[in-house]
Amino acid sequence: MGNDGIQKILKRDGRESKFVSVVVYIRNDEESIRPFFDMVLPVMEENFETYEVICVNDCSADGSVEGLKDYFAETKGDGCRNMIQIIHMSGFQGVEASMNAGRDMAIGDFVYEFDDIRQDYPAGLVRQVYDRLLEGYDVVAAGRRGGGRLTSDLFYWLYNMTSHSGNRIGQETFRILSRRAVNRVMSVGKYIPYRKAIYMNCGLKTDTIHYKGAKRRDKKGSRRERTRLAVDSFIYFTDGMERLSLLLSCIFLLFTLGAALYIGGSVFSASKPVEGWLSTMGFLSLGFFGVFTLLTIILKYLSVMLNLIFKHQRYLVESVEKITG
Amino acid sequence: MGRVFDKIIIGAGLYGMYAALYCAKKGQQVLLLEYDEAPFQRATYINQARVHMGYHYPRSLSTAVKSAGYFRRFVEEFGFCIHSSFSQIYATSSRFSWTDRKQFESFCQAAGIRCEEVPASAYFREGMCDGAFLTEEYTYDAVLLRDFYVKELAARKNVQAVYGARIERICREGEAYRVDLGSGQSFAAGYILNASYASANQILQLAEGGFAPFDIKYELCEIILCRPSKRLEPVGITVMDGPFFSIMPFGRSGYHSLTSVTFTPHVTSYKKLPGFLCQRGVECSPDQLANCNTCPARPESAWQYMDHLARKYMREEYEYEYVSSLFSMKPILKSSEVDDSRPTRIRVDSEYPHFVSVLSGKINTVYDLEEFL
Repeated sequence: MGNDGIQKILKRDGRESKFVSVVVYIRNDEESIRPFFDMVLPVMEENFETYEVICVNDCSADGSVEGLKDYFAETKGDGCRNMIQIIHMSGFQGVEASMNAGRDMAIGDFVYEFDDIRQDYPAGLVRQVYDRLLEGYDVVAAGRRGGGRLTSDLFYWLYNMTSHSGNRIGQETFRILSRRAVNRVMSVGKYIPYRKAIYMNCGLKTDTIHYKGAKRRDKKGSRRERTRLAVDSFIYFTDGMERLSLLLSCIFLLFTLGAALYIGGSVFSASKPVEGWLSTMGFLSLGFFGVFTLLTIILKYLSVMLNLIFKHQRYLVESVEKITG
Repeated sequence: MGRVFDKIIIGAGLYGMYAALYCAKKGQQVLLLEYDEAPFQRATYINQARVHMGYHYPRSLSTAVKSAGYFRRFVEEFGFCIHSSFSQIYATSSRFSWTDRKQFESFCQAAGIRCEEVPASAYFREGMCDGAFLTEEYTYDAVLLRDFYVKELAARKNVQAVYGARIERICREGEAYRVDLGSGQSFAAGYILNASYASANQILQLAEGGFAPFDIKYELCEIILCRPSKRLEPVGITVMDGPFFSIMPFGRSGYHSLTSVTFTPHVTSYKKLPGFLCQRGVECSPDQLANCNTCPARPESAWQYMDHLARKYMREEYEYEYVSSLFSMKPILKSSEVDDSRPTRIRVDSEYPHFVSVLSGKINTVYDLEEFL
């Protein structure tokens, strides 16, 4: 009975007997609520026997909450077939903190995370990422190509250059996680500053399905949050800062060597520069070299400490395979 | 006017039966009226069957202390229906909890109730709970309790019980109330005890002149009975304090009850009288609740949801399988929502003749009734 597992998953009517959680980030999205759920709920209804929707309202100032309630009051069928919950964040906390809360609340076997409900992809993509997941992945993202900001392209390029891990990240609109991935993420650390980076580096198999996105406008007030997140992520997940300070100390080392050569040359040459110039130059370049070397050492220490606090697990195992006969 | 009693008690749940026996022992003539065909068909039977020690109320110390006081007395008096030989584990969820490990521990100390920390990893998946505690809390078996009361009351000549009673009106006649039933029977007494729980406001409305209703909301609740595995059998687990779940022995039935804060309530009515969409086409209305558990229109089970929630927390070896669902209507005092206390409210609306209503909070506060009887 080798097909038992598959038999159990596939239901008679073609719907999967799996339980799926849909976690949705809502911030001042009054207009997008209706089209988004009109798109995503039918996909869930058609494909899954049981699902829940968790809307994380990140302190919306417009009529988003009323919009949600009205929408679900209209469409909600008999009780449990679609369970809807809204998490209200206390004060604006940003997409990362909010979605962490939403994911922690979810109880499904699989968790969809919609970071942005403005839809610029075909509805079929929602099912497609699930199918890809079943091929043996634990995280599958829907990645957006094109239409991005120059600054974010620059961020991803720099990030992928300096990141500790081999998995690249990019613009993502939504993703699906297996329960295994969710459990893994929970045990990696209490605080998850940047989900994408953690998911891609959780040691499980990940994949991204790309689609071509249209150009869209930024949401109001999101720029400052994004900048802060970008800087934090660089510090947490890359050794960019360490490398930068190492580079600076190398430059100053070269400068010091240059100065030493210059001083040595001057002693033996005929032309005498202004009195004291040589010693000042030598002292300055040596001093700066010392300062930056120290900084590099301190930054290295800091990064080691950060790892100690932040990464509880010393190693990550993808799976254990038993080889038989 | 029909036969005259000392007391007419409406509702054959624990509160009604307790009051009936209590008064019968004093030699009073007691009439017990019940809508269903048998006693203990609703909330007394359909709940977690928890004999509260107070652990449930980390946000209401007064409720906790009171529960602990009643706990001993109840366990002593009703020992024949108590199941106590299992480990009751309370755990605080790492996330979304209103109370953390330390707060729960100091709360237990303040309330003077047993609380020994055990490793959370023995019961829960990694990172799910920040603290787990072995506590002292039992469960009662409503069936055994019912049999006890049925036997006790049957042995007394001064207690009469009418099942399948349909109360049409309650009229005041001098220093007595007259209760007219749909069957044409009439009874009178100088004291009416309204112990009908979810129907409390409906009975209040039937009384002549009409008394103010309790400020309650109504929740149609589902309790799931499961067959526990060998590993789960001697264990009860409650994860708190927030949208979590509980799976614990259901009296001495051999089953475990599974409930969740989020998924146990199916629909809610905020009206004074319980109005629900499911009442269409069945013998049930905002004026007279029928039995939700035997209702043909009872909702689809939330098993999938409760099961997933519990499995998300518990280690895999604590297995269980679905047996059946029980449904009942639960009234909740709106004033008790913030601190999550569940007080037992007793209200005297009239004296000589007496009209007393009780809205019970939990099973072991039944003793609150005594001073009113």
